Amino acid sequence: MTQTYELLDLVDASPEALYDLFDARGWGDGLPLVAPTSARVDALLEGCGGDPDEVLAVLPPRFGKATRRMVAVNAALAGCKPEYMPVLVAATRALGEKKLNLRGVNATTHPVAPLMIVHGEIAERAGYNSGLGAFGPGNRANATTGRALRLILLHVAGAVPGPGDASTQGGPAKYAYCVAENTAASPWGSYHRSVGVDAASAVTLHCGEAPHNFHDMESDHPSRILDKCASAMATLGQNNATIAQGEYFVALGPEHAATCAAAGWTRRDVSSYLFQMARLPARLFRAQFDLRAWFPWMHAVADDEMLPITGEADHIKVFVCGGAGKHSCVVPSWGMTSSVTLPIE
Amino acid sequence: MEKIYAPDGPLAPPPITLAASPSVLAGLRIGVLDNLKPNAKLLMQRAAEQIATRTGAKVSLVTDKGPGFNSATPCSDPIFDKLEKEVDLVITGSAD
Repeated sequence: MTQTYELLDLVDASPEALYDLFDARGWGDGLPLVAPTSARVDALLEGCGGDPDEVLAVLPPRFGKATRRMVAVNAALAGCKPEYMPVLVAATRALGEKKLNLRGVNATTHPVAPLMIVHGEIAERAGYNSGLGAFGPGNRANATTGRALRLILLHVAGAVPGPGDASTQGGPAKYAYCVAENTAASPWGSYHRSVGVDAASAVTLHCGEAPHNFHDMESDHPSRILDKCASAMATLGQNNATIAQGEYFVALGPEHAATCAAAGWTRRDVSSYLFQMARLPARLFRAQFDLRAWFPWMHAVADDEMLPITGEADHIKVFVCGGAGKHSCVVPSWGMTSSVTLPIE
Repeated sequence: MEKIYAPDGPLAPPPITLAASPSVLAGLRIGVLDNLKPNAKLLMQRAAEQIATRTGAKVSLVTDKGPGFNSATPCSDPIFDKLEKEVDLVITGSAD
């Protein structure tokens, strides 16, 4: 179905004039932008193929139609290359998945942002950084793809702070939040295949907080490393604290992952261990929270017993990311959202 | 002169259409749908009671969204059906 798009006259082609034009209209993320001319947008569309007018998702709260062309317009603004477009198309489809709950993500006062994780062969082919410094800064693919997704949210979804995004304080993850999985360093293969996505490349969206770092420079056994992760997970201040469906994405650095694998631990073993260790006394939760979105069995746990920070081990997702060093991180979700992993066309 | 695309693009039809608000509240039944946010019930129930006093309406139902449902979710189907049958307007979506 053909769509109608608004075209604007670019009276002055200078970067400053474009910056001022978008600022005056309330568009953009506050940073300088690249003009989305027809030539640039067409070049980006070449990168993904398909019908430019196909509606990939309708994004609340504005209910804008996220077509391939609108994805390309925002990719142009962010400075993307055409080879990043397949990632953005799949990520945009993921935004429209019901279980991701984009309406809630944009309506909450929590500083949630969709973390985009790029899996498989496209990560290497298109130049995404899965190694040292993967969360940034300094890599064009990670930075501009993450930024483009945020611009799609700002413009197409209308997730503008205030009327469209109620986040009390906002957050740096709302500028750009994209990494690649370090499959080459993963002892357990690609994450996307572990959740049943049989494709050469895929993308995951996980709507969460900024990364919580944990480090262990000295341990040669998984338990001492993962106890620190569990400690970072079992904290009262995060939104997931009493939300049983809350997910956690654990981005293990390659060295921590290698220690786990050398001890014979699988990806599932890591999740199960964290489920057992990321706990606090039930009494503490009850003392701190009147609103507890727990599974029914969790309400029955006695005050003196240890209660897990999430309702199931499967809510703890593990992938490998980063380079040399003894740091890893965990990304707690906003809570009322589930991650989505989709194949890249 | 070069042209550029506006970045927001076309709109889809709204997924739902809200019912028209009644012009007169006298004799109508007001429901309060508590989203379980702190003080939401207190705030909305007080507002409903004051509206009822001023207009001659009646606060006839105060409910939460159902087990397992909260401010980040729609209400459960049974609660939605109950509201549809038992009240004429609903106050919801607020907290302090």
